[in-house]
Amino acid sequence: MTKTILKAVVGLILLAALLVVPRYVESPYALHMMILLFLSVSQGQSWNILGGYAGQYSVGHAAYFGVGAYTTMMLMHSKQVVPWVGVWVGVAIVIVVALVIGSICFRLRGPYFVLASIAVAEIMRLSAINLTTLTNGAEGILATEIPAFKIGERVITDFLTKVPFYYIGLFLALLTIGITYWVQHSKLGYYFQAIREDQDAAHSLGIHITIYKNIGLVISAVLTSLAGAFYGIYVGFVDPPTVLGLDVSVQIMLICIIGGMGTIWGPVLGSLLLVPLSEALRSNMITEGLVKVGLVSADSRVGLFLKENLAHAHVLLYGILVVLVILFMPEGLMGFLKKLAPRRNREAV
Amino acid sequence: MAILEIKSVSKFFGGLAANSDVSFSVEQGTIMGLIGPNGAGKTTLFNCITGYYPPSRGEVIFDGRRMNGLQPDKVCMLGMVRTWQKVRPLAKLSVIDNVMVGALAHTSSLKHARELAMEQLKVVRLEHREDFLAGGLPIGERKKLEVARALATKPKLLLLDEVMGGLNPAESEEIIQLILDIKAQGLTQMVIEHDMKAIMRISDRIVVLTSGEKLTEGTPQEVVSNQDVIDAYLGESHA
Repeated sequence: MTKTILKAVVGLILLAALLVVPRYVESPYALHMMILLFLSVSQGQSWNILGGYAGQYSVGHAAYFGVGAYTTMMLMHSKQVVPWVGVWVGVAIVIVVALVIGSICFRLRGPYFVLASIAVAEIMRLSAINLTTLTNGAEGILATEIPAFKIGERVITDFLTKVPFYYIGLFLALLTIGITYWVQHSKLGYYFQAIREDQDAAHSLGIHITIYKNIGLVISAVLTSLAGAFYGIYVGFVDPPTVLGLDVSVQIMLICIIGGMGTIWGPVLGSLLLVPLSEALRSNMITEGLVKVGLVSADSRVGLFLKENLAHAHVLLYGILVVLVILFMPEGLMGFLKKLAPRRNREAV
Repeated sequence: MAILEIKSVSKFFGGLAANSDVSFSVEQGTIMGLIGPNGAGKTTLFNCITGYYPPSRGEVIFDGRRMNGLQPDKVCMLGMVRTWQKVRPLAKLSVIDNVMVGALAHTSSLKHARELAMEQLKVVRLEHREDFLAGGLPIGERKKLEVARALATKPKLLLLDEVMGGLNPAESEEIIQLILDIKAQGLTQMVIEHDMKAIMRISDRIVVLTSGEKLTEGTPQEVVSNQDVIDAYLGESHA
């Protein structure tokens, strides 16, 4: 009991801290990092519901991310629909898309489902490139001016700083964590996990496999599309590779796989590791660090080589990281931490 | 009153008849044993009854209702549930969570499901394993877990597929007692088993399958003294 109270207190303190961060942190870069973190948590958590709990490894979540982002951006750009309305149009479209995809792909199991999910996302990407009248094709959509958010005549925010995005991101991350918590503590979560562990056994216990898989997919897709819409408005630009590319799908999965699938905190841990890592690699922070501590001289051949190439190598390093995690932490960071902690659910000997 | 009627059920895989023209019925509250040599079509028949395979011909009538073409989940909701010859624990869930998945068939409240699950764990005497991971249990306990999980769906007919397979004599004895306890509570059961001694003890009636066909049916005494059964099991030269 005391443990629960302790957890609640720690949670509340963290939440309060996160809520007041923008008051004390003025650096746009720091806020930007936090926003990327929130985005990553909500992406990973959305995938977690379908992949981690229901065991359906979709490698096509870019489809939902992209549809959410594109719908909101297209409506804002060409029809002047405000994003907080457009996003719900995106959600509605994503539900339809998810159910169509589900009805096709859920006939397949295991690796075949994975391949089908990739194919569907690629269809979306190619459509976005080729339906130029609708999506502006490969040029993408640029829409940086967001109308001010008003209630009545009162302007709540005009989206000129990063602060409103910080709060929207935080809300999205908390929403996805909350929904995952709810799933795990409901009949839905039990049924998802039963399907993940053994589909035939689940079927014999009265679980309608197709219905539950589709429920998982719809929840997951809707949350992913919210993240996509948020990304679109925040960055102000969408084009096919950045929101519909295969690497978007892979990125979404990795957050969850590295953090720990089928756990509430896995995607959070995964984001805490991956977001700073990918930022450090991209911005050449690592080379600068090595130079600063004197390991490598900036003008030496090694230094120049690193400076030149490390930023481009972040995908490679990412790949190496995934291999290491799968080899040494097959249950992700969460599984690894659980093994370190004294075991309560000890296996029978 | 017959709770389950199998009417001329056949199942073909290509040209192979895994079941052909099998008919019998199971009376309410009894235990029906299903025996036969390997490959006789016992598990195929279970699959036809519980919706995993649609029968190629014939009818399965359960509780007065035609079951052909119903999916396994629907079959379960109507009151027929099976266990698996090769056990299928939900390995990464705890023992109680496994049974709760079964109990959730008739309730949406986790609290209620947990209570129901605990009752069933007590029936199979696994309550001390409540928080263990199902995947880590030894085979005897995994078999019991299968039974508890199936019972939690509140069936009217329980189909046990070789629930004693791979167990030592002491464990088998526990399962026999369990099956008799379940019968005492009025639940109808159909049991596939290779252990002849066990099946003789628990069954009210026995159906013998060979090569997909029904060889004979009767009380355990009738079945063991039947010359065809002896031939099927031992070969004619030994008879």
